[in-house]
Amino acid sequence: MNRFFFTFKNSLAAKVIVSTVLLSFGVVWLTGSALYSQLSSGVREVNLETSLAEARSSFFNAQYQFLLVQDKSVESIAQEVTAVIKTATEIGVNQGRKEVILARLKDDLANLPKYSPNIFDMSSEGISLDVVPKDLRESLRKADDVQYRYVTFEANSGIVRESLIIGRKILIPKSGSYEMYLVYSLTNQRTTLELIFNSLLFTGLILVFLIGLITWLVVRQVARPVREAARIALQFTKGDFSQRLEITSSDELGKLSSAFNEMAISLESQISRLENLSRVQQRFVSDVSHELRTPLTTLRMASEVIYSQRNSFDATIARSAELLSLQLDRFEQLLEDLLEISRFDAQVAVLDTVDFDLIPLIERCIEDVGTTGNDHPIQIVLDPEIEHVVIKADIRRVERIMRNLLSNALDHAGGKPVKVTIVETVTEIGIGVRDYGSGMDNAALTRVFDRFWRADPSRSRVRGGTGLGLSIALEDARLHNGELDAWGRPEKGAHFVLTLPKVAGDQIASRPLRVEPTDI
Amino acid sequence: MTLVMVVDDDQDLAEMLSIVLNGAGIDVDLVSRGDEVMEVFRNNPPDLILLDVMLPGIDGIEVCRQIRQESMVPIVMLSAKGDSQDVVRGLEAGADDYMVKPFRHPSELIARIRTRLRRTNADVTALLRIGDLSIDVTGHEVLRADSKIALTRLEFDLLVALAKEPGRVFTREALLGEVWGYRHSTDTRLVNVHVQRLRSKIEHDPEKPEIVMTVRGVGYKAGVTVGS
Repeated sequence: MNRFFFTFKNSLAAKVIVSTVLLSFGVVWLTGSALYSQLSSGVREVNLETSLAEARSSFFNAQYQFLLVQDKSVESIAQEVTAVIKTATEIGVNQGRKEVILARLKDDLANLPKYSPNIFDMSSEGISLDVVPKDLRESLRKADDVQYRYVTFEANSGIVRESLIIGRKILIPKSGSYEMYLVYSLTNQRTTLELIFNSLLFTGLILVFLIGLITWLVVRQVARPVREAARIALQFTKGDFSQRLEITSSDELGKLSSAFNEMAISLESQISRLENLSRVQQRFVSDVSHELRTPLTTLRMASEVIYSQRNSFDATIARSAELLSLQLDRFEQLLEDLLEISRFDAQVAVLDTVDFDLIPLIERCIEDVGTTGNDHPIQIVLDPEIEHVVIKADIRRVERIMRNLLSNALDHAGGKPVKVTIVETVTEIGIGVRDYGSGMDNAALTRVFDRFWRADPSRSRVRGGTGLGLSIALEDARLHNGELDAWGRPEKGAHFVLTLPKVAGDQIASRPLRVEPTDI
Repeated sequence: MTLVMVVDDDQDLAEMLSIVLNGAGIDVDLVSRGDEVMEVFRNNPPDLILLDVMLPGIDGIEVCRQIRQESMVPIVMLSAKGDSQDVVRGLEAGADDYMVKPFRHPSELIARIRTRLRRTNADVTALLRIGDLSIDVTGHEVLRADSKIALTRLEFDLLVALAKEPGRVFTREALLGEVWGYRHSTDTRLVNVHVQRLRSKIEHDPEKPEIVMTVRGVGYKAGVTVGS
């Protein structure tokens, strides 16, 4: 059922077909009913007229026969009555079965007491005077012409019969006035009407079905190019611009298809132009970095040679040698970071995974980072269960992430301790680095992973970071299919949480460690 | 005196390298083209080769392959690229170690060269047995059933490091310290590539190693000595 609604909601063809079929069903129903009522009243009318004409002739014939025998004996009259009734039942083969009822008028009996014994009340088999409605008998008594009624009665056999009863006064010699009724069965008429009804119903249903079929064919013709366009547009979003719509006509759909194709071509060329541009740019950055390395190596060694001799220089030259050496360090780090970024941009960064224990690695990073700068204490909070955390990851990259996070935290800790938390689940690990320093506002949070972005441009560069550390850390984390999240509040410090799958490349299902710290 | 061949097409860098190496008491032979290396190498065999990857003529990786066909001399690749593929390609071609330009500390270069040149393992027993191999430490030979297996000095050092303490599990970091003389390095590619190369020479089936065994998540250890 749900699936049906889904199809209905999502298919233009289904919507159009269902509504067309429903509407045409209504129209067919209305016209069919009108047609049927007209046809049936026509049939009744014709039937009635034929019956009336025939009844008149029956009555006339009966009256005529009775006139012929008016001077005969009562026995002859009785015989004639039987004959007349027999004739009346036989006439009108086309009308089917017909019954006759003959009954002497009651008030007439009072007027003519001398004929009281000669009563020829009689009726055909299986029928009696009870079936004739009172009002018909009433109106018959008052009128001279034929009277009729439609009746439904239960015959002796128990079958409900629809009939037309036509009656007239008849004078029988030596007896008086009689009511004579001809009972016409309407079975034939019913059969005809049923036939008409069934044909109408059948035709109507066929018509609705055909309309549905035609709509389906037409809609399919229109919907197919639309569906095709949707499918190809979906391919575009996946980055495949090679597909085109087939143009089969010059109508509106053809125009839509060709416009769509032109859009695809323009998109494709735009994108390849942009891709080319960015490839050239990345290549350039990478080449520049590579070309810089050889002279930098020479510079580095020359500076080292000079630096190692600085004790034999006078103070200014010695200081210059120191500055030269320090700045070369920074320059070199910047070059390394740029090169790494260009590798990420060119998507040539590869994971070199190995199984290793995370805990000693983090301890070593803390030791190194802690001793290179001012000695802020770094506190490690381990999940009490954890002694070893063996993960499969690129150890060089994980180490770089940790160094970046730790030195970043120490930079902003403002002399307060930095806390490292490690939480492990079956498939993921979470490492949090929390500082309680100046923190960040929301605007800063959104930019914290941006390249060369600094929380406070006026701040002196305590540790001489390159401004690329966090961007690289994020790229490194994502290369593992991991994630790096940041939290910060002004004056409440910051919290960076690295989430890694235990096996690099697996999806991370959850964050074992929430980025919102629990200690605020 | 120790002789190091420096193969680099950048004249200034080559000159600077000779200044630094000379300062450390090492003689230097400068070669600037890849296709000149073999001739110089044959005429005047050095104790160690510093080999740049990008060279005119033939590239450093091919040069490395050619030298390995003739000699087990220690080779340290100099690379301007830190990309994994380049480093691994160089190591697979037979280089013992590599340094990425620019060197963090020129003194580090000297240290590496010295590590590669030192006469190692003076403190170990002269004869070691591991698996079905016997290692003559002083004679610098590895024998399997009296037939000699040719190993580079680094591969030999790696094997000895593992064999002298059979059963001890060495982390990759420990091996980097022991064999390459690195401290605080996590560059496990170096260890992985050399273990693969060593296995291809000494194992019966390198896919199912019995001499240099992997301890998953930790590192490597020497296999059980076959009693004889």
